[in-house]
Amino acid sequence: MDEHEHTPEVIAKPELMPRFRDQHRFLLLITGTILIAIIMVIVSLVMYNVSGSAQLDLSRPGYTSVSDKVDRTNEITDYSAFGPVNKDTVKEFTNLYDEQAKKAKAVDAFNGDPLNPEVLEFGDPLSSTD
Amino acid sequence: MNIRARLVVFGLVAALLLSTLGLKNTSAADLTDEQLARINANCLTIKGSLNQLHASDALLRVNRGQIYESMGTKLMNNFNGRLGSNGLDNKGLTAVTDSYQTALSTFRADYQTYERQLSVAIRVDCTKDAMGFHDAIEDARIKRAKVHTDVQRLHQYIDDYRLSINDFMLNFERVTGKK
Repeated sequence: MDEHEHTPEVIAKPELMPRFRDQHRFLLLITGTILIAIIMVIVSLVMYNVSGSAQLDLSRPGYTSVSDKVDRTNEITDYSAFGPVNKDTVKEFTNLYDEQAKKAKAVDAFNGDPLNPEVLEFGDPLSSTD
Repeated sequence: MNIRARLVVFGLVAALLLSTLGLKNTSAADLTDEQLARINANCLTIKGSLNQLHASDALLRVNRGQIYESMGTKLMNNFNGRLGSNGLDNKGLTAVTDSYQTALSTFRADYQTYERQLSVAIRVDCTKDAMGFHDAIEDARIKRAKVHTDVQRLHQYIDDYRLSINDFMLNFERVTGKK
């Protein structure tokens, strides 16, 4: 008996819902689209920062002075993973490898100590005179 | 005996805590009032230098990173693959390549950590918090040294791979009888 008493309420809700949806379909579409866009932007920004891509992005503000100094000329030729192995092909590879190894080791990157307090000029003046 | 053991443990914990606090105090005590004043006075200059370093290190990371990535993917992996597809023993070369790739991952991660720390240091207001600014720079300095160690390790693996090619060639010539 109780179930029958509640039936009209249950039926009434689905009748109201489509009416609301029908009346505001465009608004709901726009709101939903904006929400999805916001979520996707947040996710992509988090990924951009967490993955380390942000650190390689020289188009960011503060990097404009160096963004045009990226070395785009140093394209390494692919050594084919398929083909015969003999003295000539190994020699060909070693020539390619030696050339690139020389370039890779040409710069002792991140050497020196530019963050040394003395370099940044707020160290102890007495210790620099010792 | 039980009490004595507890006392020893308590003593060790206390010593550890005191030494940690002591280290913190040492870094704070390192700066004299005069030095703090100099940080305040040179704040803009120091920030300018940090910003320049930030940009130049980013450029270095991009340019060096490209070469290191290419050496691994375009040369080492492909050569190992060619040896493998010809049924030749490439274990030595593969082992060095794996170590190289691990070192490259460490380099990427360490640079990321260093860059974040340097950004933190740049964001600190050195006119208001000279001590915090100094500590942030010291931390970045340690992290930058770590990145340099990673670079040296990568160079070492590049040399190791070259030596492994020589070993492979010696073995290859011995097996095939080619001179």
